[in-house]
Amino acid sequence: MWSGSWRVRFQEDKVSSFRKSKTAEPWPENATLYQQLKGEQILLSDNAASLAVQAFLQMCNLPVKVVCRANAEYMSPSGKVPFIHVGNQVVSELGPIVQFVKAKGHSLSDGLDEVQKAEMKAYMELVNNMLLTAELYLQWCDEATVGEITHARYGSPYPWPLNHILAYQKQWEVKRKMKAIGWGNKTLDQVLEDVDQCCQALSQRLGTQPYFFNKQPTELDALVFGHLYTILTTQLTNDELSEKVKNYSNLLAFCRRIEQHYFEDRGKGSSSIRSS
Amino acid sequence: MAAPLELSCWGGGWGLPSVHSESLVVMAYAKFSGAPLKVNVIDNTWRGSRGDVPILTTEDNIVSQPAKILSFLRKQKYNADYELSAKQGADTLAYIALLEEKLLPAVLHTFWVESDNYFTVTKPWFASRIPFPLSLILPGRMSKGARNRILVTRGQPPFYHLREVEAQIYRDAKECLNLLSNRLGTSQFFFGDTPSTLDAYVFGFLAPLYKVRFPKVQLQEHLKQLSNLCRFCDDILNSYFRLSLGDG
Repeated sequence: MWSGSWRVRFQEDKVSSFRKSKTAEPWPENATLYQQLKGEQILLSDNAASLAVQAFLQMCNLPVKVVCRANAEYMSPSGKVPFIHVGNQVVSELGPIVQFVKAKGHSLSDGLDEVQKAEMKAYMELVNNMLLTAELYLQWCDEATVGEITHARYGSPYPWPLNHILAYQKQWEVKRKMKAIGWGNKTLDQVLEDVDQCCQALSQRLGTQPYFFNKQPTELDALVFGHLYTILTTQLTNDELSEKVKNYSNLLAFCRRIEQHYFEDRGKGSSSIRSS
Repeated sequence: MAAPLELSCWGGGWGLPSVHSESLVVMAYAKFSGAPLKVNVIDNTWRGSRGDVPILTTEDNIVSQPAKILSFLRKQKYNADYELSAKQGADTLAYIALLEEKLLPAVLHTFWVESDNYFTVTKPWFASRIPFPLSLILPGRMSKGARNRILVTRGQPPFYHLREVEAQIYRDAKECLNLLSNRLGTSQFFFGDTPSTLDAYVFGFLAPLYKVRFPKVQLQEHLKQLSNLCRFCDDILNSYFRLSLGDG
């Protein structure tokens, strides 16, 4: 399955951060990751999630091919993107994918003690709670962004009137969720304030270390990278969101570092992560 | 700060100053930071529902939601976190997010959705403290709100029914309790010897789960096995709330 020279090249790479147990099952070469169409359809929050999974798999040294499909959301077992197709199994979202990869014998967080694992889980929840929710809010509840960007992108692969119907349906769903968790009455400024608080917390936790748990990246690094990089590189109606992240220089350095280590130097094989 | 601060919140029982998690968070924070709060317990004379409880009223402001109330108190210089380092402050935010995502659904379920618990304990307790005819409507509305929140945030495919979601949220809650117990270890509070915002939140979420007597108790049983968390709740109750427990 693993061609000799290819494996040697990866092993001789810079310090690899994943640990492989002796009974690791082989990772098939045709593992695929599905997301929506990169250029015209995918939205900020889905792009962030997809990038986080790609980063995680790169950190584990597990190759995966990225395939873009317009109906990726509907193909996914949980309705969320991205999802990976490995062998005859389909797993979606970062949490379950981390578990799945761990069952195959690869893990980034085995070296952490119990307190560190608790911290890692807590910070991942913080990113999901604040950053992801803020992204969803901005995409679906801010009228300017909805009108100019989201509606057009979300429904772009479909003919009229399906494109409008699907976009309104999704918007209704997201608004319902926002209301249930108490974000329904928030203004855009308050949401940006929350983003700033979250970035400040991440920046303080990261400090001057290269990764959140010092020398080795974990799934938390992948998740944070996915969200921050996408926020920094996606064109929205204005720059307020990316400005919040740019205030923290160690976060910018962190994104650059991961981009360099895990995406630029790996050559081709997976598609470039630059958003259009 | 001489302006009187009044807090409207749900009352107490089973040895707690309040059985409502969010009210308890605010009350605990006020005790930790030394804020002089006048607590108005909601009872039968309360008129109308003004939205979320707890509500903090000052001369010119009305603030609701625990996060906003705590923020307001901090601005008034009642700050329980000034001894924390920057990293500890960041950890606080992260752990609060963990509580809200992993523990809160199961707590809501135990109180408001699990039928045995809801009909024998929660509903009668709240209905007895709300004036008629709201007592017929409000508990039902709160229950629907809780169920809705659980389904909307956790009830994604492949879970289509509440039963399937239940197993998952209780699993998550037990894991969260284990993580909290690991993090607390043998310390008295989460960050050293003085209580902070995180202690207020953990206390607010855990104490009702720990003390209220329910028929269906799976999460409570799990919590009771984590002796350091139980000791944590008891310590705070004894040190900060002993004097006000005269009428229970």
